[in-house]
Amino acid sequence: MDRQTETDQFSQNDDQLSSALNQKITYLNDLNDSVKNGDDLKIYELMDPNRFATELKGEDSDQPKASFFGLASDLNAQLSHHLSDKLIDYLGATYPFFYYHEYELGKFNVYFGNWWDHRLFGQLDPINVRFDFAEDEYNKLSQSFSLETDNKRVNDDEMRQLAEKNEYLTKLIQDQDKRDQRKEAIRQQLKENEEKSPMPWEAGKVKEERQRLNDEMLELTKTDEQATNGRSTIKQNENEILVLSKEETILSLEKQNIRATFGSFEAFIDNNNHLYTKYLQSLDKESQVSDGE
Amino acid sequence: MVSNENEDRKITTNELLANYSHAIQSGLDNGTAYIKSFNVLNETQDTQELLSAAVKLTSFQLDTDFVTFPHKFSDEDIQLVFLERLLTLSGIENELVISNPEHVQKLLCKFSELGDKTFTFSRSSKNPDGFFFGPTMMNRPLFYVNLKAKELMFHGSSLIEYFVVDLEGIKTDEIKSALQVMVKAAQILKESFGFKIDFNVLDSVNGEFYAFASGDLPDSIMDELFVKSAENHFILMSAQNGGASLTLDDKTEVTVYDAGDASRPKWGATIHDQDQKESWLCLLLDYPFIKEWYLRNQKQLEILSNQFIFG
Repeated sequence: MDRQTETDQFSQNDDQLSSALNQKITYLNDLNDSVKNGDDLKIYELMDPNRFATELKGEDSDQPKASFFGLASDLNAQLSHHLSDKLIDYLGATYPFFYYHEYELGKFNVYFGNWWDHRLFGQLDPINVRFDFAEDEYNKLSQSFSLETDNKRVNDDEMRQLAEKNEYLTKLIQDQDKRDQRKEAIRQQLKENEEKSPMPWEAGKVKEERQRLNDEMLELTKTDEQATNGRSTIKQNENEILVLSKEETILSLEKQNIRATFGSFEAFIDNNNHLYTKYLQSLDKESQVSDGE
Repeated sequence: MVSNENEDRKITTNELLANYSHAIQSGLDNGTAYIKSFNVLNETQDTQELLSAAVKLTSFQLDTDFVTFPHKFSDEDIQLVFLERLLTLSGIENELVISNPEHVQKLLCKFSELGDKTFTFSRSSKNPDGFFFGPTMMNRPLFYVNLKAKELMFHGSSLIEYFVVDLEGIKTDEIKSALQVMVKAAQILKESFGFKIDFNVLDSVNGEFYAFASGDLPDSIMDELFVKSAENHFILMSAQNGGASLTLDDKTEVTVYDAGDASRPKWGATIHDQDQKESWLCLLLDYPFIKEWYLRNQKQLEILSNQFIFG
């Protein structure tokens, strides 16, 4: 290879460089204009032209488009903040039960409902137009929906067990007098037992009786102890029941809200899965309406 | 002065009799002055005169060394007569009536809506001019009044103990109209005479802050309200200052929040309603689940009253 061909081979380099730079400049200018003009639809297209093409325009994905988002990806937080403005407006109408808190630039917590002690339900990702739900919270809700078909609730078993425990302890506390009477009777019987001077062939029987009485006494004392600690256990259990019924109340409000808006949990899931398309379609419609004016 | 041992001069019979006569006369004059005020209390059509007569008659020393009156109305009775007449003169007739006017004795009154239950005044041990009004033979001071100092204060927790707990089962409307009589009386005192009034749990002005006894409030108490509300189809919403609000019937809104700060929390509640008629006490009467919540957590939720007067 001589130097001449080498030159020829790369003779186009500067032109190509210049055109590539121009493309990037155009890209950044377009992005800048879209930001200034509040054209969020265009921003989404510029950020991910392939997703835009397939999910909004329904085009085939076999011809990937060039993406320059790498140039601006360090501005994610700022872009996210910018895009959140219209997105949250849109979500306010489509998901009226979600509330957002921007805890740092471009990052949003999603709360389910604005009732007392509403749950932190996950994150909103404005760049990808997506909810990232907290797994635990989402699963609990999902479980609650599926149990509901059997007329059950997530915490039913646990709540019933606690209630039964409390009932049992309450009875123990109430029965203290009965136990005291029984203990007195046993003491009397023990005393009588001790005073007996049995015939040798009866000695075993007397000893056996004493053992039986002592065992019963021990049992009663144990129960007494349980009853003594009962009150604080009952209070503890009541607090646990309160926590569980609060959770049920919250789940039931969440379910009510999902039903009121989407009809079913499945429809809610479906809407989440198509959120990108639906949102961009709505932006598209809006821009057409305002163009028409 | 009838005699003076320090004087060396001997007193003459004539002087003695004159002194005696003078002492009787001044005792009678004292009685006449009393009767004059007493008649005003009983007959005047003017509320200003009524008040000054009641003030004069309260702590009036009717008996003197030479003239004593075996049948006397007590200072407590004077307060009750004043209250009944004030209401009547203000056009509120027969809502509160003195129930045993047959003899000179300890007077009692009844509310037209509360059947045979009687109420009366008793004197404060801290202030001779101050009187508590409450159900007869019960230690429930519903309000405190001092006509001379022009102040009247309602006692929140006693009102709740009596009207919400003791009278449970009586129709809410009847309880409310009895309460309304007391509120009206306090309003008249405020408007006509400039009394200082603490309406406490009976204050229905929007935004009145009902301060809870335990400045700080554990979350579990709010959780309980949330759960109980939901069971009754009301949703406790989160509100500012870590508080919560509840929208009840007819857009009545109750907000529970911390009016203090982190170092000195001051939890309490406010009520907003269209007609400014709903007070904390009415709220407990109108919504059994709020009443249950309040009573279960009374130690923390009790509404504070003037601790010096009622303490």
